[in-house]
Amino acid sequence: MSTRLPGPERRQSILKESQRLFAEKGFHGVSIDEIARAVSVSPAILYRHFDSKQALYDAVLQELSSQRESYVDAVVNSDANFEEVLIGMTEVFIRSIGENPNLLRIEMQSLLDGNPATSEFFENRWKSFADYINFSLNERLAYDLADREITILSASLMFQGMVREALLQKYLQPQDRLVDISLTELSRELVTLFLRAIGIYESRLAQKESNQIKSKYPVS
Amino acid sequence: MSDFDSELDASGLNCPLPILRAKKAIAGLEDGQTLKIIATDPGSVKDFEAFCKQTGNTLLSSGEEGGKFVFMIKKS
Repeated sequence: MSTRLPGPERRQSILKESQRLFAEKGFHGVSIDEIARAVSVSPAILYRHFDSKQALYDAVLQELSSQRESYVDAVVNSDANFEEVLIGMTEVFIRSIGENPNLLRIEMQSLLDGNPATSEFFENRWKSFADYINFSLNERLAYDLADREITILSASLMFQGMVREALLQKYLQPQDRLVDISLTELSRELVTLFLRAIGIYESRLAQKESNQIKSKYPVS
Repeated sequence: MSDFDSELDASGLNCPLPILRAKKAIAGLEDGQTLKIIATDPGSVKDFEAFCKQTGNTLLSSGEEGGKFVFMIKKS
Protein backbone atom coordinates (compact mmCIF):
# COMPACT_ATOMS: atom_id res chain seq x y z
CA MET A 1 0.00 0.00 0.00
CA SER A 2 2.84 2.40 0.62
CA THR A 3 6.14 3.19 -0.92
CA ARG A 4 8.91 1.97 1.35
CA LEU A 5 10.83 4.73 3.04
CA PRO A 6 13.87 4.39 5.30
CA GLY A 7 13.03 4.81 9.03
CA PRO A 8 14.15 8.40 9.61
CA GLU A 9 12.43 9.64 6.45
CA ARG A 10 9.27 7.81 7.38
CA ARG A 11 9.38 9.35 10.83
CA GLN A 12 9.88 12.79 9.31
CA SER A 13 6.94 12.40 6.95
CA ILE A 14 4.70 11.25 9.82
CA LEU A 15 5.74 14.31 11.84
CA LYS A 16 5.07 16.62 8.94
CA GLU A 17 1.58 15.34 8.25
CA SER A 18 0.75 15.18 11.95
CA GLN A 19 1.75 18.78 12.42
CA ARG A 20 -0.59 19.80 9.61
CA LEU A 21 -3.50 17.71 10.92
CA PHE A 22 -3.09 18.76 14.57
CA ALA A 23 -2.93 22.37 13.39
CA GLU A 24 -6.15 22.01 11.40
CA LYS A 25 -8.18 19.92 13.82
CA GLY A 26 -6.60 20.01 17.26
CA PHE A 27 -5.39 17.08 19.32
CA HIS A 28 -8.83 15.56 19.86
CA GLY A 29 -9.98 16.12 16.28
CA VAL A 30 -7.38 13.79 14.73
CA SER A 31 -7.18 10.01 15.01
CA ILE A 32 -4.15 7.80 14.53
CA ASP A 33 -5.99 6.15 11.61
CA GLU A 34 -6.37 9.51 9.89
CA ILE A 35 -2.68 10.32 10.28
CA ALA A 36 -1.76 6.86 9.04
CA ARG A 37 -3.95 7.38 5.95
CA ALA A 38 -2.39 10.79 5.31
CA VAL A 39 1.11 9.27 5.19
CA SER A 40 -0.12 6.12 3.40
CA VAL A 41 1.02 3.66 6.04
CA SER A 42 -0.83 1.24 8.27
CA PRO A 43 -1.52 2.28 11.87
CA ALA A 44 0.81 -0.59 12.88
CA ILE A 45 3.73 1.06 11.12
CA LEU A 46 2.86 4.37 12.68
CA TYR A 47 2.88 2.79 16.15
CA ARG A 48 6.32 1.42 15.38
CA HIS A 49 7.58 5.03 15.38
CA PHE A 50 5.35 6.54 18.07
CA ASP A 51 3.78 4.69 21.03
CA SER A 52 0.62 6.76 21.17
CA LYS A 53 -1.13 9.80 19.79
CA GLN A 54 0.16 11.75 22.79
CA ALA A 55 3.74 10.66 22.04
CA LEU A 56 3.31 11.77 18.45
CA TYR A 57 1.87 15.09 19.53
CA ASP A 58 4.75 15.61 21.96
CA ALA A 59 7.21 14.86 19.16
CA VAL A 60 5.49 17.47 16.96
CA LEU A 61 5.90 20.04 19.75
CA GLN A 62 9.47 18.95 20.33
CA GLU A 63 10.24 19.58 16.69
CA LEU A 64 8.58 23.00 16.79
CA SER A 65 10.51 23.91 19.91
CA SER A 66 13.82 23.07 18.26
CA GLN A 67 12.97 25.71 15.67
CA ARG A 68 12.53 28.33 18.34
CA GLU A 69 13.32 31.86 17.24
CA SER A 70 16.55 33.45 18.43
CA TYR A 71 16.56 37.06 19.53
CA VAL A 72 20.33 37.32 19.71
CA ASP A 73 20.51 39.42 16.54
CA ALA A 74 17.92 41.84 17.87
CA VAL A 75 20.14 42.46 20.90
CA VAL A 76 23.59 42.34 19.34
CA ASN A 77 22.85 44.42 16.27
CA SER A 78 21.38 47.35 18.14
CA ASP A 79 22.64 49.52 20.95
CA ALA A 80 20.15 47.57 23.02
CA ASN A 81 17.69 50.37 23.60
CA PHE A 82 14.23 49.24 24.58
CA GLU A 83 12.32 50.12 21.44
CA GLU A 84 14.86 48.84 18.95
CA VAL A 85 15.15 45.50 20.68
CA LEU A 86 11.38 45.20 20.98
CA ILE A 87 10.91 45.92 17.28
CA GLY A 88 13.64 43.44 16.40
CA MET A 89 12.07 40.74 18.58
CA THR A 90 8.61 41.38 17.17
CA GLU A 91 9.92 41.06 13.64
CA VAL A 92 11.68 37.79 14.42
CA PHE A 93 8.58 36.37 16.11
CA ILE A 94 6.20 37.43 13.36
CA ARG A 95 8.55 36.13 10.67
CA SER A 96 8.75 32.72 12.31
CA ILE A 97 4.94 32.43 12.43
CA GLY A 98 4.81 33.64 8.83
CA GLU A 99 7.16 30.83 7.84
CA ASN A 100 5.04 28.27 9.64
CA PRO A 101 1.48 29.42 10.47
CA ASN A 102 0.84 25.91 11.89
CA LEU A 103 2.54 27.22 15.04
CA LEU A 104 -0.26 29.72 15.51
CA ARG A 105 -2.96 27.19 14.68
CA ILE A 106 -1.60 24.62 17.13
CA GLU A 107 -1.40 27.34 19.78
CA MET A 108 -5.06 28.28 19.26
CA GLN A 109 -6.13 24.64 19.21
CA SER A 110 -4.21 23.91 22.39
CA LEU A 111 -5.86 26.78 24.23
CA LEU A 112 -9.22 25.15 23.52
CA ASP A 113 -7.97 21.61 24.13
CA GLY A 114 -6.61 22.65 27.50
CA ASN A 115 -3.53 20.46 27.05
CA PRO A 116 -1.16 21.58 29.85
CA ALA A 117 2.05 20.58 28.06
CA THR A 118 1.09 22.55 24.98
CA SER A 119 -0.07 25.57 26.91
CA GLU A 120 3.24 25.62 28.72
CA PHE A 121 5.11 25.36 25.43
CA PHE A 122 3.35 28.39 23.95
CA GLU A 123 3.36 30.34 27.19
CA ASN A 124 7.11 29.94 27.17
CA ARG A 125 7.35 31.48 23.70
CA TRP A 126 5.40 34.55 24.81
CA LYS A 127 7.41 34.70 28.02
CA SER A 128 10.33 36.18 26.08
CA PHE A 129 8.22 39.29 25.49
CA ALA A 130 6.70 39.32 28.98
CA ASP A 131 10.15 39.04 30.61
CA TYR A 132 11.66 41.66 28.38
CA ILE A 133 8.85 44.19 28.85
CA ASN A 134 8.68 43.49 32.56
CA PHE A 135 12.41 43.93 33.10
CA SER A 136 12.72 47.03 30.91
CA LEU A 137 9.71 48.81 32.36
CA ASN A 138 10.91 48.06 35.85
CA GLU A 139 14.07 49.97 34.96
CA ARG A 140 12.30 52.83 33.23
CA LEU A 141 9.04 53.52 35.00
CA ALA A 142 8.97 55.93 37.92
CA TYR A 143 9.16 54.10 41.23
CA ASP A 144 6.42 56.11 42.87
CA LEU A 145 3.90 55.06 40.23
CA ALA A 146 0.70 53.83 41.85
CA ASP A 147 -0.21 50.21 40.98
CA ARG A 148 3.19 49.76 39.46
CA GLU A 149 3.01 45.99 39.22
CA ILE A 150 -0.42 46.01 37.62
CA THR A 151 0.74 48.60 35.12
CA ILE A 152 3.68 46.47 34.07
CA LEU A 153 1.62 43.30 33.90
CA SER A 154 -1.06 45.05 31.85
CA ALA A 155 1.54 46.48 29.50
CA SER A 156 2.91 43.05 28.63
CA LEU A 157 -0.62 41.71 28.25
CA MET A 158 -1.44 44.58 25.93
CA PHE A 159 1.62 43.87 23.84
CA GLN A 160 0.87 40.17 23.57
CA GLY A 161 -2.75 40.91 22.64
CA MET A 162 -1.73 43.30 19.88
CA VAL A 163 0.79 40.99 18.30
CA ARG A 164 -1.38 37.90 18.59
CA GLU A 165 -4.37 39.68 17.02
CA ALA A 166 -2.22 40.92 14.15
CA LEU A 167 -1.06 37.36 13.53
CA LEU A 168 -4.60 35.99 13.72
CA GLN A 169 -5.80 38.58 11.23
CA LYS A 170 -2.93 37.88 8.90
CA TYR A 171 -2.91 34.11 9.00
CA LEU A 172 -6.22 32.74 10.15
CA GLN A 173 -8.79 35.08 8.64
CA PRO A 174 -9.98 34.06 5.18
CA GLN A 175 -10.62 37.72 4.33
CA ASP A 176 -7.50 39.57 5.25
CA ARG A 177 -8.45 43.21 5.70
CA LEU A 178 -4.82 44.03 6.35
CA VAL A 179 -3.79 42.61 3.02
CA ASP A 180 -2.05 45.81 1.91
CA ILE A 181 0.09 46.11 5.02
CA SER A 182 3.17 43.96 5.35
CA LEU A 183 3.75 42.28 8.68
CA THR A 184 6.94 44.28 9.13
CA GLU A 185 5.10 47.56 8.70
CA LEU A 186 2.36 46.35 10.97
CA SER A 187 4.75 45.27 13.71
CA ARG A 188 6.63 48.57 13.62
CA GLU A 189 3.41 50.51 13.80
CA LEU A 190 2.10 48.43 16.68
CA VAL A 191 5.32 48.77 18.65
CA THR A 192 5.26 52.55 18.11
CA LEU A 193 1.68 52.77 19.35
CA PHE A 194 2.56 50.56 22.29
CA LEU A 195 5.47 52.78 23.30
CA ARG A 196 3.29 55.87 23.15
CA ALA A 197 0.60 54.17 25.18
CA ILE A 198 3.02 53.26 27.97
CA GLY A 199 4.42 56.77 27.94
CA ILE A 200 7.81 56.33 26.33
CA TYR A 201 7.73 59.51 24.31
CA GLU A 202 11.38 60.26 24.03
CA SER A 203 12.11 57.23 21.94
CA ARG A 204 14.31 57.64 18.92
CA LEU A 205 11.48 56.31 16.87
CA ALA A 206 9.21 59.10 17.99
CA GLN A 207 11.96 61.63 17.38
CA LYS A 208 12.65 60.32 13.94
CA GLU A 209 8.98 60.45 13.16
CA SER A 210 8.62 63.97 14.43
CA ASN A 211 11.62 65.05 12.33
CA GLN A 212 10.02 63.51 9.28
CA ILE A 213 6.81 65.39 9.95
CA LYS A 214 8.74 68.62 10.43
CA SER A 215 10.55 68.22 7.13
CA LYS A 216 7.33 67.33 5.38
CA TYR A 217 5.38 70.21 6.83
CA PRO A 218 7.98 72.91 7.58
CA VAL A 219 6.83 75.74 9.77
CA SER A 220 7.12 78.85 7.61
CA MET B 1 40.87 32.67 43.84
CA SER B 2 37.80 32.27 41.67
CA ASP B 3 38.16 31.68 37.97
CA PHE B 4 35.81 34.48 37.01
CA ASP B 5 35.65 38.22 37.67
CA SER B 6 31.92 38.79 37.66
CA GLU B 7 28.79 36.69 37.92
CA LEU B 8 25.34 37.07 36.40
CA ASP B 9 22.36 35.00 37.47
CA ALA B 10 19.74 35.01 34.71
CA SER B 11 17.75 32.07 36.12
CA GLY B 12 14.09 32.05 35.19
CA LEU B 13 14.53 34.55 32.38
CA ASN B 14 13.82 33.85 28.72
CA CYS B 15 15.89 35.00 25.77
CA PRO B 16 16.78 37.75 25.02
CA LEU B 17 17.09 38.95 28.61
CA PRO B 18 20.06 36.75 29.59
CA ILE B 19 21.88 37.92 26.46
CA LEU B 20 20.98 41.54 27.06
CA ARG B 21 22.14 41.43 30.66
CA ALA B 22 25.32 39.60 29.68
CA LYS B 23 26.02 42.27 27.08
CA LYS B 24 25.71 44.98 29.74
CA ALA B 25 27.82 43.04 32.24
CA ILE B 26 30.58 42.46 29.67
CA ALA B 27 30.61 46.15 28.82
CA GLY B 28 31.65 46.77 32.44
CA LEU B 29 34.61 44.36 32.28
CA GLU B 30 38.20 44.89 31.21
CA ASP B 31 39.58 42.95 28.25
CA GLY B 32 40.62 39.47 29.35
CA GLN B 33 38.24 39.38 32.33
CA THR B 34 35.69 36.59 32.61
CA LEU B 35 31.95 36.65 33.24
CA LYS B 36 30.12 33.64 34.64
CA ILE B 37 26.48 33.38 33.60
CA ILE B 38 23.83 31.09 35.06
CA ALA B 39 20.63 30.55 33.06
CA THR B 40 17.69 28.16 32.99
CA ASP B 41 16.33 28.76 29.47
CA PRO B 42 17.41 25.77 27.33
CA GLY B 43 17.56 28.13 24.33
CA SER B 44 20.41 29.97 26.03
CA VAL B 45 22.95 27.32 24.95
CA LYS B 46 22.58 28.17 21.26
CA ASP B 47 22.04 31.82 22.07
CA PHE B 48 25.32 32.30 23.91
CA GLU B 49 27.22 30.49 21.15
CA ALA B 50 25.70 32.88 18.62
CA PHE B 51 26.30 35.84 20.90
CA CYS B 52 30.01 35.10 21.29
CA LYS B 53 30.43 34.44 17.58
CA GLN B 54 28.85 37.78 16.74
CA THR B 55 30.53 39.88 19.41
CA GLY B 56 34.00 38.33 19.21
CA ASN B 57 34.08 37.44 22.92
CA THR B 58 35.36 33.97 23.82
CA LEU B 59 33.02 31.30 25.10
CA LEU B 60 35.42 29.50 27.45
CA SER B 61 32.89 26.89 28.51
CA SER B 62 29.26 25.99 28.29
CA GLY B 63 27.78 23.29 30.49
CA GLU B 64 25.02 22.09 32.71
CA GLU B 65 25.17 22.06 36.52
CA GLY B 66 22.28 20.87 38.65
CA GLY B 67 19.64 21.57 36.01
CA LYS B 68 21.03 25.01 35.21
CA PHE B 69 23.18 26.16 32.33
CA VAL B 70 26.51 27.75 33.13
CA PHE B 71 28.58 29.78 30.68
CA MET B 72 32.01 31.36 31.03
CA ILE B 73 32.69 34.21 28.67
CA LYS B 74 36.01 36.01 28.38
CA LYS B 75 35.86 39.56 27.14
CA SER B 76 38.13 39.91 24.14
